[in-house]
Parts: sequence; structure tokens; C-alpha cells
Amino acid sequence: MSNETRLVFTSPLINRTPDDEPPPVIVAIVGPPGVGKTTLLKSMIRRYTKQTLNEAKGPITVVSGKKKRITFIECNNDMNSMIDVGKVADLVLLMIDGSYGFEMETFEFLNILQSHGFPKVIGVLTHLDLIKKAAILRDTKKALKKRFWTEIYQGAKLFYLSGVLNGRYPDSEILNLSRFISVMKFRPLVFRNSHPYLLADRIEDLTPREQVRESKGKCDRTVTLYGYLRGTNLRMGTKVHVPGVGDLEMKTVTKLGDPCPLPDADSEKRRKLSEKKKLLIHAPMSDVGGVIYDKDAVYINVPGSFTRGNADVPQGEGERMVMDLQDVNATLEDGVARSQIRLFGSSSRPLAVDPGPSRQHAFQDDSGSEDDEDDDEGEDSEDEGFEGSDDEEEEGSDVELDEDELSEPEGDDEDVNDRGRSAPRVVRRATHDTKSNHDRQTKDVEYAESDSDLGEEDEDEDEPVGRRVRFGNEHDVDIQSDEDEEDISGGEEAPRWKANLGAKALEAYHQHSQRNKRKDWISLIYNSSLTPEQILNDSESNSSNLNEMDDDFFTVKSRSGAIGEDEEKDMTKEPLNEEELKQWEDEELLDSIRNLFITGSSSDAQPAADGDYEDLEGDADFEDLEANGAEDASSQPADPETARATALAAKKEALKRKFDEQYDDPESSKLDFYEEKKEEMARQLLLNRAEFEDVDEEARALVEGYRPGTYVRVELVNVPCEMIENFDPTYPLILGGVLPAEERFGYLQVRIKRHRWFTKTLKTNDPLIFSLGWRRFQSIPIYSLDDHSIRMRMLKYTPEHMHCYATFYGPVALPNTGFCAFNSLADNAPGFRVSATGVVLDIDRSTKIVKKIKLTGVPYKIFKNTAFIKDMFNSALEVAKFEGANIRTVSGIRGQIKKALAKPEGSFRATFEDKVLMSDIVFLRAWHSIPPRKFYNPITSLLLSEKGSWSGMRLTGQVRRDEGLKAPLDVNSTYKKIERAPRRFNTLKIPKKLQAELPYASKPKLMKPQNRQTYMQKRAVVLEPEEKKAIALLQQIRALRKDQVVKRKEKQNERKEVHRQKVAREEAKKTEKDKEKRKEYMRAAGMKTKRDNEKEEGRSSKRRKKD
Amino acid sequence: MPSASTSVLHFSGHQHLRYRLVLSIISGKPVKIDKIRSDDKNPGLRDYEVSLLRLLERVTNGTIIEISVTGTTILLKPGIIAGGPIAHECPLSRSIGYFLEPIIMLAPFAKKPLNLTIRGITSDDQDLSVDLMRTVTLPHLQLFGVSEGLELRIKKRGSSPGGGGEVQFLCPVVKQVKTVNFVDNGRIKRIRGIAHAVRVSPQFSNRMIEASRSVLNRYIPDIYLYSDVYKGEDSGKSPGYALSLLAESTTGAIHCAEAVSKPGVTPEDIALLASRALLKEVSRGGCIDRKHQTLALLWMVLGSEDVGRVRMGEPSPRTIQFLRDVRDFFGTSFKIVPADKSDPDCSELLFSCYGTGYVNANRSLA
Repeated sequence: MSNETRLVFTSPLINRTPDDEPPPVIVAIVGPPGVGKTTLLKSMIRRYTKQTLNEAKGPITVVSGKKKRITFIECNNDMNSMIDVGKVADLVLLMIDGSYGFEMETFEFLNILQSHGFPKVIGVLTHLDLIKKAAILRDTKKALKKRFWTEIYQGAKLFYLSGVLNGRYPDSEILNLSRFISVMKFRPLVFRNSHPYLLADRIEDLTPREQVRESKGKCDRTVTLYGYLRGTNLRMGTKVHVPGVGDLEMKTVTKLGDPCPLPDADSEKRRKLSEKKKLLIHAPMSDVGGVIYDKDAVYINVPGSFTRGNADVPQGEGERMVMDLQDVNATLEDGVARSQIRLFGSSSRPLAVDPGPSRQHAFQDDSGSEDDEDDDEGEDSEDEGFEGSDDEEEEGSDVELDEDELSEPEGDDEDVNDRGRSAPRVVRRATHDTKSNHDRQTKDVEYAESDSDLGEEDEDEDEPVGRRVRFGNEHDVDIQSDEDEEDISGGEEAPRWKANLGAKALEAYHQHSQRNKRKDWISLIYNSSLTPEQILNDSESNSSNLNEMDDDFFTVKSRSGAIGEDEEKDMTKEPLNEEELKQWEDEELLDSIRNLFITGSSSDAQPAADGDYEDLEGDADFEDLEANGAEDASSQPADPETARATALAAKKEALKRKFDEQYDDPESSKLDFYEEKKEEMARQLLLNRAEFEDVDEEARALVEGYRPGTYVRVELVNVPCEMIENFDPTYPLILGGVLPAEERFGYLQVRIKRHRWFTKTLKTNDPLIFSLGWRRFQSIPIYSLDDHSIRMRMLKYTPEHMHCYATFYGPVALPNTGFCAFNSLADNAPGFRVSATGVVLDIDRSTKIVKKIKLTGVPYKIFKNTAFIKDMFNSALEVAKFEGANIRTVSGIRGQIKKALAKPEGSFRATFEDKVLMSDIVFLRAWHSIPPRKFYNPITSLLLSEKGSWSGMRLTGQVRRDEGLKAPLDVNSTYKKIERAPRRFNTLKIPKKLQAELPYASKPKLMKPQNRQTYMQKRAVVLEPEEKKAIALLQQIRALRKDQVVKRKEKQNERKEVHRQKVAREEAKKTEKDKEKRKEYMRAAGMKTKRDNEKEEGRSSKRRKKD
Repeated sequence: MPSASTSVLHFSGHQHLRYRLVLSIISGKPVKIDKIRSDDKNPGLRDYEVSLLRLLERVTNGTIIEISVTGTTILLKPGIIAGGPIAHECPLSRSIGYFLEPIIMLAPFAKKPLNLTIRGITSDDQDLSVDLMRTVTLPHLQLFGVSEGLELRIKKRGSSPGGGGEVQFLCPVVKQVKTVNFVDNGRIKRIRGIAHAVRVSPQFSNRMIEASRSVLNRYIPDIYLYSDVYKGEDSGKSPGYALSLLAESTTGAIHCAEAVSKPGVTPEDIALLASRALLKEVSRGGCIDRKHQTLALLWMVLGSEDVGRVRMGEPSPRTIQFLRDVRDFFGTSFKIVPADKSDPDCSELLFSCYGTGYVNANRSLA
């Protein structure tokens, strides 16, 4: 399908992901167990980095091209993982076992994708080598492709991977697949384009160890997550949701240096041939050769359980060093104070420690004397942990780590100077924290230079994750803030900033001089505690104000009250001050604002608004913007000459545009709706960039948040300890930003449809697991249908093949958000697990679902059209509530409740349109509203040691089964034999008078039975002997005849039976023949279609080849 | 339970009560306001404030308002903005403007289009009169894409102290307000005004028009001042007259001013007062009227996740406090720089902010 021919009916979506440095594309590898996911992952990693991973866990980021990075993540077979991965993946490699066919998980996953916005999907068929016969292989491929296409779309990409070579898929096939991935274009998805999110590729526990120890590991943790931001800008103050854990609060967000940066021209230039093959990989959760490394730490996997006293486990140098680190029982300061560092071997006095900033100097050259004391050594290595100087390689004695692997990735994003070295690393200036930037003078080996630094990194230091031991030797490479980057770039592109040094100085001067006159509104409003009036009245008086504050030790408390009521009122209009307005009588003043009116002369203050005020607003903005930018850059063209020139140029430009508009083809310049919108969006995006360009990074983050594509470290507080204790890198860890509206709780009304493959019906008030937004939770829905737009009527069960509404309590999601629902997420749940899908329609704080209730009563006294009814209500109060309500009898006579009666309690008088019977049942149809239960149970699967074993609220039936209980039996509900007394009806009596008037036909013709015998009855009959004989003879003849007929019939039946058998035999023969014939025909037809298809395919494949 | 009880924001004092309540309802964050006139002889909430709370409760669904026994502390747990047909009776201590201003801020984010009938005093000297609301506030809403079906009908006028006026406010529902980019204030191209007089001689309004023209005619010929007379039932219970003026620029920026009759002041003086106030307002510059700064800033914050920019005159004290409160509620702070960097005595400021991407979650699809 080409883009040109496709009709676009929707307005375009804004893509909020920046183009220049987009976050890595998330490629998820999904499939049933044993299908070859890990093999594919390793093959892909191998393809991109030329490295082989032993164990691939968690997200793995690689650079895949000039402008592209990819984060691979393997999704295990847990339903929770599939849901979470489906919400963040940009591209899904859906693995299918070709020798087996589709499995239930595949379809479940596709349904999950569908309800949360469909990312791109590429099918990958594996295990095709298991099919030996070529014909069968071809058929299988075709059948699978057909099914795949119906499931996704006609023409969806499906890859075939043949066998496994050396534990990997064939390189050529992988290369092919990687090419497809690299050209893939991604459409923005609505939900992801309105929420910030992050796929954590690293997690650290920052809780103080002591606190953990004291609480036996049960205290809430402080945790940092690291990852690339995606979606929209992440701002401080937004709540985040970690699926599987819950809603958490962000304490801080820090922008870190990119651990897997895109190659730029500069880095390419410096890349050596030897390095060419080693490309970047960032996978902190994966195990790379026993040492896990990333930008700011090195982890050593220690075999077995790492206990300190364990002497029999062989301990390498690294472990020993780590243990040394742990042995420290004095602070750095103590250590420094005690240390006896001599500058030279011949020095007579050790260096004294001056607890001031000059301390740094004392430390700058002690590498020679370092190994003097063991104690000191320990201290120093601790220092390294804190302050990331690279002296460990330099000293060479500390750790013999795999230097290649260690140093290689570091070199890439750090200082460009030490790329591609093969010899031990040249000591260079460590990139450093911003705050200590200024007090560094040399580029030598350095240690912790201030206590504040120490304090900060201290947190990071004591954070063991699992059994990992880590010494963050290069911590601040990550902390590397933009100032560093600026520094570097500044250093390289010195000419540029030098070029307009003068201009900058001028601008600075201007600003400085203006500052005296002008207020700094931002800081006055946001950073001062002055009252609004104080801000407005004068900045000069601020100082006096301050003095006043000092003086007014005793202030008159009710001063403000004394000013008067009117002053304090919350008013929109400011009171008109007549005296002040008197000044407008002054002619001069009146004339001074003349230029604000169109009739006034145009002053040079407003050149833009002069000629083309009918211009589009946007255009005007742009001119303005550019003008501003120009001013910034070139420090205001001061002389009027240039100003006039620019004004002239602008005018010319406007005239040209006008001319073009008039004389160019109007059709070509006219954009359709889609294009217009797109242009508008592009303009707005440009403005977004430009507006805060000149603001420094930190302030910008405050105003607009962290942009997608940045690598951030998010510190979360009050995280349940189980998340850390039971952390498993194979389960994806996602941090989803939550909109303010989504933090709240309420009733959600959704449109829902039971999935056609889900075998059971869904029942109202049965708990259901929803996957909605970022969240997964269990809630109790009530199903309903709109009843003639009058009421929402409760349904007991979801209807077949039809949408219905469901209402449940839970965290609010924006209308139009898709969701899917499950009855159980357990692996062992039989059948298709996605039980329903739908979309959010409405959120509210109350619901209006009703169910019908019928109140019945019986009449106990009947007048003409009035009856007294009892047994419907229990009290007169209840009756009063229903006065005027419509009632009806079973026979259909309608009536109305009138008034309560005194006795018996709860009875009332009612009128009907006709006389009711005593046997009639009277009922009142009412609607009873049922609010959904306020039940919300988040699925905390990541907190469990066995992630798949989460169990929520059970169904009543399940509870009963588990507890061995029987369903309670209400005596009144049991079936009993109904004994009905036979009804006796009174005879119909027609009054004489009426009877007399009736026509004969209608007259009742009931006559009394005759009580006297008739004449004939009275007479006796006596037969003559001949007559008797004749009668007897006749009887005998009749008997004979009967017998004869019976015999004849039997004979006839026998003959018929024979005939029937014969016919049946013939019939059977005939059908056999028919069958044979049909079979023959079908075979021929099948062959023909097959041949046709083949012909067709051959042609199309040929055509494809030609293309 | 994931923090269903979000942290309650605390404020003190009765000042700025209205928009703090509005911010709370829009942001969904509960707010606690204490020390409401706690030092006053007559402590606690005033009748009009209670009436406002009642109105807000009616406009929303699920809002919980707790007022302490003394009335000096209120706790508002906001629900959702429901909208729909509502009628409200204002006390005679404040005009309709006091109640309508916060409602206008909320109304486009409701579930159903709002149809509010509100009775009371239509114009006084403290809050915007209904004339200005109709002619100035509603065009300001249109900047943000709220236009279709937006209407304010003045059915009856009612002057202070008797009241008896009635207006109907119809407001549509939007999904999201547009991001504004209004930095060109243009130049004033026309001046309009409404002079109304109820239960006094209809000549009064003509006298006001005459006097106002004497000041404004020097600037621009395009001046139309309407004399709006309501008679009989529609003219309320008390006599009064007022002049509302507005100046519209070439780019659509509107500035307004008005003056309301006071006992013992001639209509001419009222008109002069209004005209001069208008000139003062115009001289302040900017694209947004000073009385509508808070409205514009609030909706800029609520815009899509893009940069919105607006040029304004010096902020009023209310606006400054409002900016601070907005930061507490939404975490959004504005970038405020002089609009014209080259001109040292330019008092106009450029307010820009990054919208929060507020989407009207209340709007239903069904």
C-alpha cells in the first residue's frame, strides 16, 4: 500500500519524540518458550556488536546506525511480562515455531497489542529445519503466512529462519532481518505520545545499609532506575507507575551522560580500526564475561554466596579489594588526617591536612607514595569508589579486570582523548561534578575533593544489588552534566564562542545595566517571599522593606484589618482611583499614547505591526522569534542603518509573499487539511525548541521537563522492599508517567466485549483483571446495557457477540483508552486467557446502573375500582415514599398508589382502571440502583518471588471449592411440589329479565334433565326365536370375516417387507456410486485450483523480482 | 492503595479564595484553606463565599467541602466537573461577576455543556460586569479555541443594592484548550462601549456616551457606544447606570474598562472615569486585558505540551499570587522576560510556559 493512495481522514498525530537524538527503538522478542528467542537475541547482538553474550537479561541497547539505536528486550512467557512489553515495544519480533504452528500465547499477545495500540510486528518463523520434506515445508509456510496475515494485516512481514549454526541463526538471515528493522518507520501511538515512560535497564538500591539491616530488610527502599526517556517530556512532580509494583513518587530525576551515544562526526574520526569491530553495547543487567559493566560502575559476579569469612572460596584480587573496601571503619577524613603522605621520599615531614579547599593540592601528587601503607591503600581505593578518577588502571595494582571490556565502552562517551588505546590508559582529567568544577586546576590524579561530593556519592556506594559488589570507579562520568559537555565542545570549537565575545560582552553589559532598572520577574515571583504588592510597588523599596522587617520586631498585628474591609476583598477590578486618573486630563499624556492607535503615526517602536497586521498570527510570531534570535546572537544591531535595512528586507519579503500568493497557482499553494495540520505542528515544535534554547539545562528541565531521548536516573522513594529482594532482570521493569487526571480514582464506564475465544461468559460482580493504561489491576465490574436511552440496566452476564457497558471502580484513565481484561493471568489457566477487550468511555464519581425490582402485594378488600392492598410495604413511611406510583395487576389492570392505611401496617389504598379480583396479585415495578463495589487490587507481580504466582480475589465458586463449602441453600428457594386445589367456578347465571331480551340463538339452552321416563323407555322388548337365530348367525359371519381380513393383511405385510428390502439395497448401491462420482469431480477441481494458484504465485514472485 | 489521598495543599487567608478553589477543582488536588478572617471581628466565610462554594458543589460531582465550625477553615476535595443545567441565586453582597469568573475558568472542562442561569446584581464596582464578560471575557476564551456555542445572555439587569438581574451562561465542552501564541498586540482599531441605565432617565446613557466621546474621539473615529436600556421587569429592582468600554486592536487584543454609578456622581463624571481608565489600560499594553490575565495564564498552563506565549502588561498583584499558586498546583512556572529587549523602558512582558497537556478527562465518549 503506497502512502499516496491512502486516504487520510484523521488529523495527524504529533510526534513528540525529537528527531535529532531519539531514544533507542525498543525491539521486543516475543514468543512461546523454546521457540528460539534467546538465540535470536544473541544473534542480533552479535550482528550489531560483534560480541557474544553468555547470558542476555534485561534490555540491551546497541547502536545500529548513524542515527539509530535499538534496545532489545526478550519477553518471557509470563502474561504480565507480555502485557508490559506490549505497552512499550516499538517493534515486536513475534517468534513462531514453524514445526508446531501458532500457539495460544501468540494470539493472546496479539490481542494485548491490539487493545493498547498496535506497534509494528514482524513475524519470525523458526524451527523450519525440523520439517524435512520440501513440499510440507512449503505448505506449512504458506498456511502459517495466511493465518499471520489475517491476524495482523495482509502483507505483514514474516521471516523464515532456518537452522541454528554455532548457537546462532545464519548470519545472512540475521543481516536481512536487521536491515528490515533499520528501515522500519514508526507511527506515533496515541497513548505513548501522551505519557512519558522509561524502560529501566538498570536498578540500584540506595537505602542506607544500616536501615536495611535494622529492619531485617523489610524497610521501604529508595531505588534508582536508569533508562532512556520515551514518549513525552518527563516532569518533576508527576506521579509514576511501575507496572507490577504500584504508584510511586519520584524524588529526583537526573540527566546522565548517554551510555550508548550515537556516533557523531567527531567520534567517528577518532575511531581506530581496531575498535571498528567493537561497537557499543549497553546492557547492565546482562552478564558480559563475568564482569558487568556500565558507564558508572563495574560489577564483579562473585561465585557462590559472598560471605566475608568464607576463606575456602578462592578469592580473586577483585574480591579482596572489595572486601578491603568494606573493611573501612573510618571516614575518609580520618584516613586523610592519619595518612602520612610525603611528597618525596626524602621529605622529612608528611603533608599536613588542612581542612579547607586547599586540601586538594595536598593530594594531587601522591601516587608514588601511595603504597606505603596498607591502611592507606584501602582508604584510597575507597576514594576511587567515590570520585571517578581512572587511577586504577594507572596503578595497575588494584584490580586486574578485563581491561579491554572495561575500558572500551568507557572511552566512547567520555573524553574523546583516550579512544582506541591499547596500552594502559593515559590518565586524564576526570569529568567531574559541576559544583566542584571550579576548584580544579590540574588534570592529574584526584581523589574526593570535597565532603559534599563524598556525601552525594556515598549513597551510591552502599547499594548492593543481590550479590553484586560494585565499585563505582567512574561514577561521575555519568553525573556528567551538560556543563561538562559544554566545556568540551567549547574547548573544541573555541573559535565560535570567541567570535562573538565582544557581542556577548555587550549584551551582558546591557543586561546588567538593565537589571538596575528592570525587575527580574521570574525570581521575584518564584523565588522571593515578597508579597505581590511589594513586588509591584518597587524593587528599590525592597531594601527599605527589608530594613523595615528587621525593625518591626513588634508589628501591629491588625494592621491589615485596619485598612478596611473593601481593601481586602477578592476583587477582579481594581478600584478606580479618581485622583490618579485625573492625570489623563493632561494633553501631553493623552498624546503620548496616540501611537497605540491605528490613526497615530507609526513609531519605530513597532515596525512589525505596521504594514501587515492582517498577517497570520503565526507568521507574526515567527518574525518576532527570528528577530529575537537575531538580536541575541548579534547583540542588537545598534546603528539605525542596519535596522532600516532589516526593516526594508522584511517589508520586501512580505510584499513578495503577497505577490506570490496572488500570482502563483492558487491550487498548488493551498494545502489540504492534513498538510496544514502537519505544518502547524512542525511550527509549534520548532517554537518549543526555540523558546527555551537559551535557558540553561537545569532551568529548562524545571520548566519543560526532561526530553525524550535523554538517559535519566530516576530516584524513587518508598519502594516496597520485595521489589529489590525479588528482582529478576528477565521481567521487564517499566516506569510509566501518570497524568494528573489518572492519579485519581473513580468509576470508569467502559464499552466491553467478551472475547470470542474466551469460553466462559463473564458475570456481573465477578472480579476481573484489567490492563488499562500502565496499570494492571483487579476490580469488580457491573455489566449493563442502555435501556432505550432511559436507564442503564444491569446485566447479569455479558451478552454473546455484542458489546455492552461495564462499570467498575479504579484509577481513572482518559476516555478512549483501550484495555483488555483477564480472568486469570496464571500460566496454568486453561484456554484463551484474554477474556474481554474494550475502550474507556466515561469517568465519573457516581453511577446510574439500575436493576429491576418488583414489589408484590395482594388486595384484601375491593370496592368498585378501589382496593386495599397489603403485603407490599412494611410501614406507612414506605408507602408515603411511593405515593402516586404506578402499579399493575397480573391480569393487566393498571392502577396507582393513593394513600397509606392505618391498619394493617404498610397497607394502602389504590385505585385501578377496573375492578380487581381478590385473586389478583398487584405489583409495583421499580428500579433499584446498584453501585459497583469499590474494589481495586493492583497486581503486584514484580514483588513476588515467583512472578507468575500472583493470585487476587477469587470467585465465590473458587473460594467454596477451596474451602470445601457447599453453596448455601435458601429454604424458600428450593423446589417443592406445588399443590393446587381444583378451582371451582360458579355457574353462569343470566338474569331472567336479560334472558328474555336475548335473541334465541344467544339464549342459554340448558334444560333440566327429564325426570320422567318416556313412552318408549317404559316399553319392554322381547325377541322372537327366529330373530334370535338370525342375529346369532350374523354375528358368526362377522367374526369369520374379521379373521379373514387379519390373515390377508399379514400376508400383504410379508410381501411388502421383501419389496422394501430390495429397494433399500438398490438405494445403497446408488449412493455409493454417487459418492464415488463426487469424489472424482472434487479431486479434479482441486487440482485445477492448485495449478491456478501456483501459476498466480509464480507470476507474482516474478513480478516482485522485477521490482 | 496507590496514594489515593494525594497531599493536600495548604493556603491561608481569604484572599485569592476563588481561583484557589478553581485550581483545586481543575487539578484535582484537595486544598485546605485556613485562617479565613480569623482575626476579624466577624470571623469566617462571608455569605457570598459560602454561596460560591455551594455553586461549585453544584457544578461538580463528588466534591466534598468541609467547613469548620467557626468557618475559618475549609477543606475541598474536588470531584469532577459535571456541568449541565444549573440555576444559582447570588447573594446581594457581590455581583454576578464574582461567581461567574471562576465558573468560566472551569466550564470548558466539564462533562456536559454548562447552562448556568444566575440571578443577582449584574454590575458593580468590584467584579466584572456582565457586559464586559460578554464582550471581553468571551472573546478571550475564543483565543483558546472555546467558541462554538459560547454565549452569555443578559436577560435582566439588576443594579446594586436591589439586584434582580438574570443572565444565562452557555459554555461548550472542549477536549483540550489550544496553545496560544499571542505576542503581537497590534494597535487599537476600534472602540466599543455599552452605556446602560436602568430605572433612571434613559437620557443618562446618552449623557455618558457624549462625555466619553469627548475624551476618546481624539484618537480614533471608529467609536460606537451603544445605549442599552432595559425596561419594566427586565430592569431589576434598583436604579443605576454604568459605562463599559473596550478597545480592540488590529490583532484582536482587547482592553476594557468600566465605571459604575455612585450616588451623587453625575453620569458625565462616570463616563470620564471609564474613558480614562480605558486609556490607562491601553497604555499598559500587552495582548491580554489586565483583568483577564489570570484566565489567560491558567489556560496557557492547561494547554497541550507545547510552548504558549503571551505578551502582557505588568502583572497585577492578583496575577503574581496566581502564578505562585499555579506552580503549587501544576508545577508549571512561567518564563517572564521583557517583551522588547532592545527597549529599556518597555514595561510589557512576555509570558511563556510549557503547557501541562491537560486533557478534559471528564468529557465522555458515550
